[in-house]
Amino acid sequence: MLDISNLSASIEGKKILKSFDLKIKPGEVHAIMGPNGSGKSTLANVLSGRKGYEIEGKAFYEGKNLLKIPIEERAQKGIFLAFQYPTEIPGVNTNNFLKTSLNTVRKFRGLKELDSLDFLKLVKEKSKKLKIEEKILSRQLNVGFSGGEKKKNEILQMSILEPKLAILDETDSGLDIDALKIVSEGVNSLRDKERSFLIITHYQRLLNYIKPDFVHVLVNGKIVKTGCSDLAEELEKDGYEGVATGK
Amino acid sequence: MNLDFEQFKKLNIGLKELDNIRTKSFNRFKNLGIPTKRQEHWKYTDLNKIITNNFDDLQIYEGKEKEEYNKNFLIEEFEHNKIILQNGNFIDSDLSFEDKKRVRVKSLKKILSDKNNFEKIKEYFTDEQNSMISLNHAFVNEGVILEVDQNYFFKKPLIIYNIFSQYSKNKIINNKVIIFLGENSNLTLVDFYRSENNIKYFHNTMHNYNINKNAVLKKFNINNHLNSSYNYNSTKIKSHENSVFENFLLSLGPNFIKNEIHCDLIENYSSCFVNAIMLLKDTQHHELKTNVNHKYENCKSSQLVKSVLLDDSNGTYQGKIYVDKNAQKTNGYQLSKAIILSEKSQFNSKPELEIYADDVKCSHGSTTGNIDENSIFYLMSRGLTKDQASKMIIEGFLNQVIETITEPSIRKLVFNLFSSRINSIKI
Repeated sequence: MLDISNLSASIEGKKILKSFDLKIKPGEVHAIMGPNGSGKSTLANVLSGRKGYEIEGKAFYEGKNLLKIPIEERAQKGIFLAFQYPTEIPGVNTNNFLKTSLNTVRKFRGLKELDSLDFLKLVKEKSKKLKIEEKILSRQLNVGFSGGEKKKNEILQMSILEPKLAILDETDSGLDIDALKIVSEGVNSLRDKERSFLIITHYQRLLNYIKPDFVHVLVNGKIVKTGCSDLAEELEKDGYEGVATGK
Repeated sequence: MNLDFEQFKKLNIGLKELDNIRTKSFNRFKNLGIPTKRQEHWKYTDLNKIITNNFDDLQIYEGKEKEEYNKNFLIEEFEHNKIILQNGNFIDSDLSFEDKKRVRVKSLKKILSDKNNFEKIKEYFTDEQNSMISLNHAFVNEGVILEVDQNYFFKKPLIIYNIFSQYSKNKIINNKVIIFLGENSNLTLVDFYRSENNIKYFHNTMHNYNINKNAVLKKFNINNHLNSSYNYNSTKIKSHENSVFENFLLSLGPNFIKNEIHCDLIENYSSCFVNAIMLLKDTQHHELKTNVNHKYENCKSSQLVKSVLLDDSNGTYQGKIYVDKNAQKTNGYQLSKAIILSEKSQFNSKPELEIYADDVKCSHGSTTGNIDENSIFYLMSRGLTKDQASKMIIEGFLNQVIETITEPSIRKLVFNLFSSRINSIKI
């Protein structure tokens, strides 16, 4: 699904990711944990195509050079990034945006575009699962949403777009315990043997709810340790420093 | 410009008093000339240059109108009353939804030859604010007057169709629209523009509205069809006690337009709201100038102007709020926001507050910038193309002004006209 090798990314001359390697197979859930400034968000940005980075190395998505695929095509081809800080866009109606997004993606995948009725039915069903109040969907996109509402809206978009590879960038930050559970259930319900996840987080907390197959520790732009889900608990106990240095 | 005033006078012999006004106004125009950049109020719009560059031989329109017009220009989306002005001339009206005893539509031409009637509108020929208005006084011989009795609520909106036929080609058309809205009355008015075959003309028009106590006038300027017209449109409003004037402008169509709105809030609790959208491309040049004079206590005014500029277009908003020393408890608000999509386009904004009272609440803001890259990235990361993303952001940005329209049928009309324009632009 995703094959990253020797990937480096710099911004304004500062190297953030350094010879980064990662392989994700279909159906796998990988967690990347790391301290502040270790390069977690840069990884998410580079994979989703945000501009402003100088990139070296290789990244293949379904056998194609990911770095050459335009941003919107990455989304159309099934890559989804749940933003750490979802952007507020004044004047853009959330439902309209969701419908346009879904239909663009469906069209690309050769599926029939949904009409308003079918779309509303779908959104109703998905937002109910995530306990999202319907009225926020008729509001402006992310404008005036609480932290929790913004993150739930990201997961709602993910569940509507049904990506092949979902990247969750600190989706747990800013969520209370109840919201964290709901969001995790949303993610878990999407898990299947085809769909892969890359979960980026600071804390082990989220991984209590979403059990990853692999946990990677990212320090200073490089993966310093990889293990199974127990590694997350070890990190919680010993800290990044402890695990990274093996003390 | 080739203005044969003597010839015009010969053809329009009428009241002595009107003749004198015309001569005086023409001399004033001759002395001042067409406004240039050197005049403060025309700093961003050199009208002299615009006319010289675009017209070889601009002449006074002197056509006699047949009562025929292109019916395809009529709006079919909702039921409404009609006034048809062709090349500035009043040619037809249809107020079949209203009580005709209480609403009167009169041709300005007829009024101008009647001493008693002229007396009632004489004050609208005395304004000497600038030379274009003097030009209008000198050459105006057509237009329309609408009188609405007190306690009359219009059942349907009234659309004034400003139609320009092929005979207006290379002509300067001067006309006036005068509205008297009686106490406690209510009118929704649409000023709608269409021209035949993309002809080039100059429309120099003056509107005067007298809004009496407790009356509400909601006005919409809809100028959406791309065309080669050049326009100066001056609107003066006198607002009496507790009256409301709302004006929404959709400024998309003409090559050039300068809209001026002067509103005098002369009595307690009167209010004036102006909201506008400019979406300009190619070499379009649009200016909006608002001038709200708070002359009495407890009055309220606000302006919200949003602009998007593409290609080589040029947009300007000059907004002045004047608060007289007697106008305590004034509430004034002004906001202008512009997005520039091309390095060659420009937007000028000049907010002005002049306050002589000490117990007032006034604020203004003005921003001009590029489209937000984070927003574009967010939408593209959801599969939208850059074009789709930009249009969605622009539509949202401008749509916030459309959402302020309180008349559902007109909000829908405006939204549809505006959406089709958004879809047609290339970013």
